[in-house]
Amino acid sequence: MSGKKEEMLLDVKDLHASVEGTEILRGLDLQVKPGEVHAIMGPNGSGKSTFANVLSGREEYQVDRGTVQYRDLDLLELSADERACEGIFMAFQYPVSIPGISNAYFLRTALNSVRRYREESEVDAVDFLELIRSKTDLVGIDEKLLHRSVNDGFSGGEKKRNEILQMAVLDPKLAILDETDSGLDIDALRIVAEGVNALRREDRAFIVVTHYQRLLDHIVPDHVHVLSDGKIVRSGDKTLAHELEREGYSWLEATDASAGSNS
Amino acid sequence: MVTEATESWTEAVRAITERLNESKDGLDERRTGGLERFQMHGFPGRKSEEWRYTPLSGLVDGGCHQSLSTSTSVPQHADLPLDAIARVVLINGCFQEQLSDLSALGDAIKIGSIAALRNESNPEMVNFLCSSFPEDDHPFGSLSDAMLDDGVFIEVSGEGSGEPGTVHVLHAFDGSTGAGSAHITGLVRCAPGSRLKIVEEVRSTGEVLGNIRWGMSLGDDAVLDRIRVFRPGCDSVFHGTRVTQNSGSQFHDLVTCCGSNLIRNEIHATHSGPGCHVDLLGAYVARGKEVVDHHTTIEHAVEDCTSREIYRGVLSEKSRGVFTGMIHVHQDAQRTDAVQSNDAIVLSRDAEMNTRPRLEIYADDVKCTHGATVGELDDDALFYLRSRGISLDEAKKLLVRAFTSEVLAGMESSQLREFIIEELQRSIPGDGESSS
Repeated sequence: MSGKKEEMLLDVKDLHASVEGTEILRGLDLQVKPGEVHAIMGPNGSGKSTFANVLSGREEYQVDRGTVQYRDLDLLELSADERACEGIFMAFQYPVSIPGISNAYFLRTALNSVRRYREESEVDAVDFLELIRSKTDLVGIDEKLLHRSVNDGFSGGEKKRNEILQMAVLDPKLAILDETDSGLDIDALRIVAEGVNALRREDRAFIVVTHYQRLLDHIVPDHVHVLSDGKIVRSGDKTLAHELEREGYSWLEATDASAGSNS
Repeated sequence: MVTEATESWTEAVRAITERLNESKDGLDERRTGGLERFQMHGFPGRKSEEWRYTPLSGLVDGGCHQSLSTSTSVPQHADLPLDAIARVVLINGCFQEQLSDLSALGDAIKIGSIAALRNESNPEMVNFLCSSFPEDDHPFGSLSDAMLDDGVFIEVSGEGSGEPGTVHVLHAFDGSTGAGSAHITGLVRCAPGSRLKIVEEVRSTGEVLGNIRWGMSLGDDAVLDRIRVFRPGCDSVFHGTRVTQNSGSQFHDLVTCCGSNLIRNEIHATHSGPGCHVDLLGAYVARGKEVVDHHTTIEHAVEDCTSREIYRGVLSEKSRGVFTGMIHVHQDAQRTDAVQSNDAIVLSRDAEMNTRPRLEIYADDVKCTHGATVGELDDDALFYLRSRGISLDEAKKLLVRAFTSEVLAGMESSQLREFIIEELQRSIPGDGESSS
């Protein structure tokens, strides 16, 4: 790039975090710029989901050390809802169902919460329906799902598509996909990935947390990081994902976890 | 249990009984009987099984034994969004002709005051009144008898009733100039095949006991829908309903309340002909030291009847919910299908829910299910909502909406449903102050 210092969207430094007294993240560093797609891979228990949850503000996850700067904000000072209003979105591995609240009502409440925070005018029911129609096409979701209770009785694919729909509506700057591929067959996976790709933009970054490489065939990352034992032990471009696919994660045990970042 | 406080009640009640008995309306025996029963039994204490979790001491010791002064003032609240064909207003127990509007009623529905009925000496209605309520040791029943004066009757004939209209009954209790109580008797008679909808609203201000009882009779295949809305700010309300259902009739009852000190809702439904159905639904929110008590009895006396009870409450701070639900399936009531559920969300450690299902089943071919749950708001759901930008307070309100939706979903008017949900939601403490 030209001599001008490039803007950083997310800057994670030496992040340590624990759940119920067990340390899971042990010094994680990550830098994300607008427009980039970062994949976080790693074996079960390496801390992938913990990282996603810490970023989105889940209170059960205790941050013990380190800093997370998001734009010009100290992210760790913000509650989960403030983070969402500031443009962070996490697509859940297991979206929660809420019987008794229609998907449309939920989405409109969320959108208006975010708009109020951003000092934008609220959207009424009519305008909302118009807005949502343009988004349902984008993510390939059946409009009927809008009138059903949130995720209640949804298939695995419908739930994940619903997450992407919420992402499209809330218009985040940083989207985190937590194991979005889990429980999806190949067709559902493709549809979800297409939705995500449709939402890729120059000013929006993605962190894609996944165990398997197959999602990355569809959502092609700029950077791939391997998380092991709570820190990033290796970084590379998309070819690293293919390497992992061939060799699995067993090499991690043999490797001294001192490998640095080569990004 | 007779104490000093009940002495002052008895004295006050006796004066009213004697005054009303001078009217020679044929109800003097009923009043005297009520007075004697009240004198003998008084208010039940904590040891009474039926009132164990519902403290009446504040009511007994306070100033409610006095009579409320005459008032024409209705406590201020936003009006319910209703499309009613008639409006009945009772203030401090007196039917207000000036404030009521019965002008649009057709021939099918007759509405009038109990006071007028007594003066006309309408023996048929007096008989119906007397047969609607048992003469037992119930404290509020005895008070209603002893001070039997005014109220409202609604009579629906089967012919030409067509699409049922909504009758709005507004009970206003104004204790702003001094504490006191008002005792109201309501009667509803639905002819065979008739249909009626009642929206009953209770507004109250000041230290007041509102003692309301209804006697209802549904003819064959009659359908009665009733929605009761206790608006925030009520002090103490006893609300009792006794309904007798003949063959094929349906009674759908929905009650909601929030922000009221003490509400006791008693319903006694008897199925006396086959093919009846009764729905008893309730949604409530309580905080502070509020008590909400639902006390229901369903008498499945004959075969092939169904009942469905769902009560859902959200309790915060030091509030208390009470549910006692008796389902009595008589020996001949084969193929009864009864469902009862009672669920509560408790938002603080100091809030409590007391739930007592009572099933007595003497027939062998029946389906009876009951369930009770007490839980907290789902943390996963709360986080999910917050991760979408919804604040903690707003997220809680959304989950309360979700929780009560099963009860309120069947409401015909979505406007009224929204209005009620929003009023319930406003009674949830904010700022995460009572999260556990």
